[in-house]
Amino acid sequence: MPPQAFETDFWKDANLRKSWDEIIPGEPRQTLPYVLTREAIALYCKSVGETNPIYVDEAFAKTTRYGGLIAPPSIHILLMFACTPADDWMRSPGTVNAGQSWSYHLPARPNDIIRLEARALDKFIKRERLFVVHDNVFFNQHSEVICSGRGWTIRPM
Amino acid sequence: MTFDDLKSGDTIDGPSFAVSRESIRLFCDASLDYNPLHLDDDYMKGSFGKTQFGGIIMHGMNNFGLISRMITDWAHPAGAIHCRLETRWVKPVKPGDTITPAGVITSKQATAKSRWVLIDVLVRNQQDEKVATGEAMVEFPRDAFCA
Repeated sequence: MPPQAFETDFWKDANLRKSWDEIIPGEPRQTLPYVLTREAIALYCKSVGETNPIYVDEAFAKTTRYGGLIAPPSIHILLMFACTPADDWMRSPGTVNAGQSWSYHLPARPNDIIRLEARALDKFIKRERLFVVHDNVFFNQHSEVICSGRGWTIRPM
Repeated sequence: MTFDDLKSGDTIDGPSFAVSRESIRLFCDASLDYNPLHLDDDYMKGSFGKTQFGGIIMHGMNNFGLISRMITDWAHPAGAIHCRLETRWVKPVKPGDTITPAGVITSKQATAKSRWVLIDVLVRNQQDEKVATGEAMVEFPRDAFCA
């Protein structure tokens, strides 16, 4: 289940979100700190069928190069929504994800306080579709980079 | 498996994944992505510019998570590290589909401080159609630590 305060009805704040016309490339997106829990990691692992014990078995994880539990690299999929407010344009109904690229530096871990720096980087029109490129960097509570990534979305008309 | 053993053309087999309304709903809860593309059949009967989906579709990032799972499951036992993944979605995935990721090593590269393997990745559906393509990069540290 989502965190109690998380609004799962993406229509609710739709009128507050920036449209393609209003998105300014280079302008930072508002973000929120998020505490990554073991339960959130376990739920994410379940959703993609992850069975590697390094994500859930602390005794095993201690024997690895990481010295303890970590989250899968692709946990940024959750962090993108966990670290942004309800009026973020990434939640606009009809947003179609066209592709993403991510580089991983350090693993996220349970109880990390995750911070996101994000912005639209570019917007363009191609084959009558409205695209926005977004770039994102996630940090832990020590201001160490966890991962950085870029995505291409087709915006709702 | 070691860095020296690997060569271009070596393949990586990923796990098959059965897509259902339940798996898509679970991914909504796990990712907090509740876009109606993945939940609302009535909304998805509409037109999206030139595109009509006809019903709900799986999150593109579910493909990404499945590819990442394949790469980490392949890399971790060798003490290697999944460092990068780039993907593009080429066909929507719907409930009832079964998708399977795979990888092919395209090259190896040594740098001043480490060693890298580049992998072309793709995801196919049950009709052998490509639904996602991309590239991954895996680091094989010189001090490989195998769990």
